[in-house]
Amino acid sequence: MAAIEAENLRRTYKQTSGFLRRRTKTIEAVRGIDFAVDEGELFGLLGPNGAGKTTTIKMLVTLLIPTSGTARVLGSDVVDDARTVRRKIGYVFGGDRGAYERLSGLDNLRYFSELYGVPPKVQKQRIPELLELVGLTGRERERVEGYSRGMRQRLHIARGLLHDPPVIVLDEPTIGLDPVGARELRHTIAELARAGKTVLLTTHYMYEADALCDRIAVIAKGEIVATGTPAHLKSAVADRTVIEIEAYGAPEDAIRRLRDAPGVTSVAVEDREHAQLLLVQAPQGSVLTQQLLGHLDGVRVGRVTAREPTLEDAYVSLVTEN
Amino acid sequence: MSVAVRNRMSYGRDQRLRQTLRIFFHGGYFSYRALFNWQSPRFYVPTMLAGPAFQVLFFAYLGRYSHVRDDAFYVVGNAVQVSGMSGVFGVAITVGGERWTQTLAPLLATPANRMALFLGRALPHIVNGFIVSAFGFAIGRLLLDFHPGLGTIPELAVVVLLSTTTCTAFGLVVGALGLRWRDVFTIANPAYFLMLLFCGVNIPLSALPKWMQVVGSGMPLTHGIAAARRVAHGASLSSVDGLIGKEALIGLCYFAAAYVLLRVFEAEGRRRATLELV
Repeated sequence: MAAIEAENLRRTYKQTSGFLRRRTKTIEAVRGIDFAVDEGELFGLLGPNGAGKTTTIKMLVTLLIPTSGTARVLGSDVVDDARTVRRKIGYVFGGDRGAYERLSGLDNLRYFSELYGVPPKVQKQRIPELLELVGLTGRERERVEGYSRGMRQRLHIARGLLHDPPVIVLDEPTIGLDPVGARELRHTIAELARAGKTVLLTTHYMYEADALCDRIAVIAKGEIVATGTPAHLKSAVADRTVIEIEAYGAPEDAIRRLRDAPGVTSVAVEDREHAQLLLVQAPQGSVLTQQLLGHLDGVRVGRVTAREPTLEDAYVSLVTEN
Repeated sequence: MSVAVRNRMSYGRDQRLRQTLRIFFHGGYFSYRALFNWQSPRFYVPTMLAGPAFQVLFFAYLGRYSHVRDDAFYVVGNAVQVSGMSGVFGVAITVGGERWTQTLAPLLATPANRMALFLGRALPHIVNGFIVSAFGFAIGRLLLDFHPGLGTIPELAVVVLLSTTTCTAFGLVVGALGLRWRDVFTIANPAYFLMLLFCGVNIPLSALPKWMQVVGSGMPLTHGIAAARRVAHGASLSSVDGLIGKEALIGLCYFAAAYVLLRVFEAEGRRRATLELV
C-alpha cells in the first residue's frame, strides 16, 4: 500500500471582487494530479511559486477539501476520515509564524502534545528527545518571540514529530534559513527518512531535492509535468548543454530574442546583485555563443561559460517548456 | 465478546476520556497563556479591573444624578455585566487570536476533540470573568452605597458564577463567528454593548419596548442579573430558582450553538480555503 496516494486531485478557488457588482473569478490551483508515495520514501514535490505545491499539501493534511478527486494517507481518505489522517501525519510548514509567541518552545510542544493525545509519560521522554534532535536543548524555556527564524523552523519540525507520525509532510521547511541552518535541517530530514518515515517534501531549491529525495514530481501551473528519480529527471536534459551568460541590464526584448533564436531550447534568467545570469539551454554540440551574443548587442556582457546540465536545468526546462 | 477484548475496549475508552479531559483542562490553560497579554499586571489591571470599575462607578453616579434607582441596582447590574470583558472579548480572541498568530492551521491539523478544544478554552475566562465581577462588587461595596449582608455573599457568588458561565458561552458563539468573519472584534464590540442595553443592566427589562424584552429574555445575563439583584436584597437561592434555571438553560443553548457553529465554520473554512486568511 502506498503511504500517500492522490488520484485526479483538483482544487479551485473562487475570488470575488467589487462591491455592488460582485465579480467571481475561478482559479485552478491544482488541476487533477496523480501521484503515489511509497512507505519509507522521501518524495519531493518541486515547483515554482504558485505551482500548486502548498495547495496539494493542504489537501493532504486535511486543511482543504479537494474540489474533486481523492487523496489517501496510509489508506485513510483525507475528507471522509480526516481525523485518522491527522493522527498519521505530521505537518511542518515553512516560515517563522505558526507558533505561540508568548509561550516557550517547551510549552508549545507540551500544548501540541496534548492536542495530539500524547500521554504525559511519553511526553516527558519524547519532548527532550525532539529538542535534542532539532538542536533546541537549553533554549526550550525561552519564549518563542525571542527565537530566530531558524529556531522557529526547528520548533515546527519538533512539533510535527510529537505524535511519532509515520508520514511527515514538510512544506518548504528551509525557506528563509541561513545556509548552515538549512544544511542542519536537511540532515534532520535525511535522518527521518533513514528512521523509516515516509516524507513528502516541497521545495523550490533544486540541490535540496537532488540531495534528499528518492523521487521527485515536478509541478507547474497545477499539473505534474514529470515524475522520477533525480537521475531520471536529469537524463531528460543530458543531451543538452547550458550556456551561462553574465549580463548587465539586459532588456526584456533582448531576452525574448534569445528565446526565439534557432537552436535555443529554453532561457531562464536569474537576477544577481548587479547582474543577470542568463541560462540558455541548447542541444549538445551546438555552437551558439557568437549568435547569442549577437542578440545581446548593446548589452554589457561579462563571463560566458558552457557546462553540463544539472537537476536545476532539468527543472527549468520542465517548468518553462510546459 | 471475550473478557480480554472487553477490557481492551474499556481501556481504550478510558484513554480517550483522559485525553479529552487533558485537552479540556491543560489545553484551556495553555491557550489562555498563549493568546492573552492579560497575564501581565500591566495589561490585566487597566483592562480587567480599572475599565470595569469605571463602568460600575459611571452608571451608579449617572443613576444618582437622575434619581431613578439606588446604587445597588447599578452595582449589581454592571458588576455582573463586566464579566463580559472576559466572557465576550476574551473568548472571542481565543479564535480570532489564532488567526493573528497564524496558528489556526496547525491547531486544526491536529486530531484533537473539537468540543474539548474549544469549550476548554472557555474555562479560564469563566474564572477570570468571576474575578472581574467580584472586583466590580468590591468597588460598589467600598465606594458606593452597596452593602449586602455577609450571609448573601455565597449565594450571590453562585449566581454570578452561573451568569459568568452563560456570558462565556455567548462569547464562544461570538468567537465561532470569528472563524467565518476575519475580524472577530466587529462582532464582539456590538455584542458587549448589546448586553449593556438588552439585559436589564441599567434599565429594567420591563421599561424596555416589548421587542427588546423578547430579545433580552434570550440574552445571557438577563435572568442572572435579575436573580443577583434579589439575592443581594436578601432573597434565598431557592426563591429565585426559576431565574437561575432560565439562565442555565440559556447558557446551555449558547454552548450548544457555539459548538455547532465552530464545527460548521471549520468545515466551511476547509471548503472555502478561509482558515488561514488573516
